[in-house]
Amino acid sequence: MSKESKEIDQYTASVLQNGISRRTFLTRAAVGSSGLAFASLGMGSASAAPIQVGTEYGEIGGATLGFLPKPKPIADKDIATTQTFDVVVVGAGASGVPAALSARESGASVACLQKQAIPVSQGNTGSGIDLKNSDKSAIESLVSRLMADNAHRSHPGLLRQWAYNSGEAVNWVIDRVKQGGGQIVDQGTKPQHGIRGIADEGDRLNFVTSFCGPKPYTTGDAIRALAKTAEKAGVKFFFNTPAQQLIQDESGKVIGVIAQTRDGKYHKYLAKKGVILSSGDYQNNKAMCDFFIPELKNFERKQMDRTGDGFAMAYWAGGVIEPVGHTKMLHDFDAGPASMCDMPFLAVNRKGERFVNEKVEMSLMNNYLKDEQNAGHYSQVFDSDYMTQAKDWPGHLYSPEELKVYMPEEPGEKKGVYPSLTNTYSANTLEELAVKLECDPKTFVANVNRYNELCKKGKDEDFGKPASKMVPVLKPPFYGIHRRMRVSTICSGILVNENHQVLDADGKEIPGLFIVGNLGAGFYGGVDYPLTVFGLSLGRCYTFGYLAGKYVAKL
Amino acid sequence: MGIQLNEQWNNTMKNLTIMLSLVLSIFAGSALAKDTVLLDQTHAAKGVKCASCHGKEDRQAVPMLKCVQCHNTEKLAAKTADVKPVNPHNNRHFATETDCAKCHHVHQKSENLCVSCHPRFDLVTP
Repeated sequence: MSKESKEIDQYTASVLQNGISRRTFLTRAAVGSSGLAFASLGMGSASAAPIQVGTEYGEIGGATLGFLPKPKPIADKDIATTQTFDVVVVGAGASGVPAALSARESGASVACLQKQAIPVSQGNTGSGIDLKNSDKSAIESLVSRLMADNAHRSHPGLLRQWAYNSGEAVNWVIDRVKQGGGQIVDQGTKPQHGIRGIADEGDRLNFVTSFCGPKPYTTGDAIRALAKTAEKAGVKFFFNTPAQQLIQDESGKVIGVIAQTRDGKYHKYLAKKGVILSSGDYQNNKAMCDFFIPELKNFERKQMDRTGDGFAMAYWAGGVIEPVGHTKMLHDFDAGPASMCDMPFLAVNRKGERFVNEKVEMSLMNNYLKDEQNAGHYSQVFDSDYMTQAKDWPGHLYSPEELKVYMPEEPGEKKGVYPSLTNTYSANTLEELAVKLECDPKTFVANVNRYNELCKKGKDEDFGKPASKMVPVLKPPFYGIHRRMRVSTICSGILVNENHQVLDADGKEIPGLFIVGNLGAGFYGGVDYPLTVFGLSLGRCYTFGYLAGKYVAKL
Repeated sequence: MGIQLNEQWNNTMKNLTIMLSLVLSIFAGSALAKDTVLLDQTHAAKGVKCASCHGKEDRQAVPMLKCVQCHNTEKLAAKTADVKPVNPHNNRHFATETDCAKCHHVHQKSENLCVSCHPRFDLVTP
């Protein structure tokens, strides 16, 4: 198929028009100075932007984007070593390690460069669709639901690529992680509480839900096991070796990567078939966050060293960054049971005030807690009748006995949790509970009393929660789960097509450059990552790594 | 000769004043404990010269590579294996290769990086 004649889909056209690339900078800057309408952007035209001599940073309409530093020239004499592979993967995480292994299994010689000393990943659950046990209408219904979850801003083609390939990819990851001695199981459809009602009655929708755990074991450990399998298969890993810049030939084709080792020396990794960037998000890059997602200012970060290195590399190679307003992911599955996070118990903010209709899912709660004081903190509050009153609510209840592993005040060894992050309390009075939840006791008690009044009335005149979910807090002992919404990841990125190949500002493939994982665009788009499919994020990373590795190896 | 020495001395004093005022502005309002020995003193006591870390010409930033020339990360991790509640030198984020400077500062007070996310990791950082 001719790349030029292929019609550009709606999603791609929108990112080309509104995203950030060296082309849009130049066009917008010109537009800004001449006062012409923005519509003059010459979409689909073949004219390449003139490179401005002396430009040190990317710019938009005169604004300098210091977080997109132009690669500094590195002379050949400063290159300590040069090695050649078929495929070079940048980033050993949940998409990079699968990409490297899958390329290797398809016959390619593979290098995987990693900034840190070890492969790094987070979370526990990565999901795919069990195709054999699902009906196509149900799968399409799920794709449609994910589009809605993503504020209709994602690329349906990429969602379908996950939907129709993820079962195979996740099963492959499960098998290869086990080969490396990792802890991973398929939990099937059971943990997928969020998909209820999506498929028509009688339609089947089933999942392969891989789970790496229980905590403190995580997907990080499993990815390290997967890297062992990959190493055994012949993938060459280079740790403590952050990529610095891409190497392009005169035609713009990406032919390799320059990386730097801890001793300050530069090394060339040439790629005969392609470079796959899987270097993740930019949550620790303040300037980038302030530009693309300024509402993150007051939230704590869960990760370290996520400086968005791949963004600058792809930008200077001609790639297009999704428009401002990126998708974020803020969760807390550690303070209390994950399976109770979306249960609409009374919720209070850090001061002790009720602030929302509690039917808002945990994944969206951060939107009500962006200010400096709340900074993502809130508490779910319930009384000792919760086991009966909430028995039909979404999720799975932990009994008071089971809840104890989440209580830092309870003595003894805690299994299946991160002991340093648990944050659940019980108390015999509301005042005492308020103190444990770090709320102002007076405000807290007044708000609980007001809530109890509304429960009695059967009408939530303050926030409109359905009467069936208005469960009062009356009977001691009282319980509170103090959750902190911190940034797990930012999941918007660089424009790619369905082969995960990076597109330039004309919508043309950049030869030799591919992106998977959270550095890739088009899979989300909403204000937050949706929890409809539990484990979608890792499922997407595994799937796209698996597919891109195979694709690039066969070029 | 005497003049040269004098100039050097003056420059040193000037630099010290700048550094001191920087340090003071950083710690303004907080009680800088007198008994806190900064790691520059610890290094100096062992005979480590400024240039050993910062280079001889223009004063350079110190990469982790300099630290590991003397401090073996794996031996260090073994030495602190029993530190409670967690071994900071072999962690889930960076294994044994956490950049030393994330916690250990040389010219100002070190910090406990863990505690910002793990409230119960009450480690004391020299």
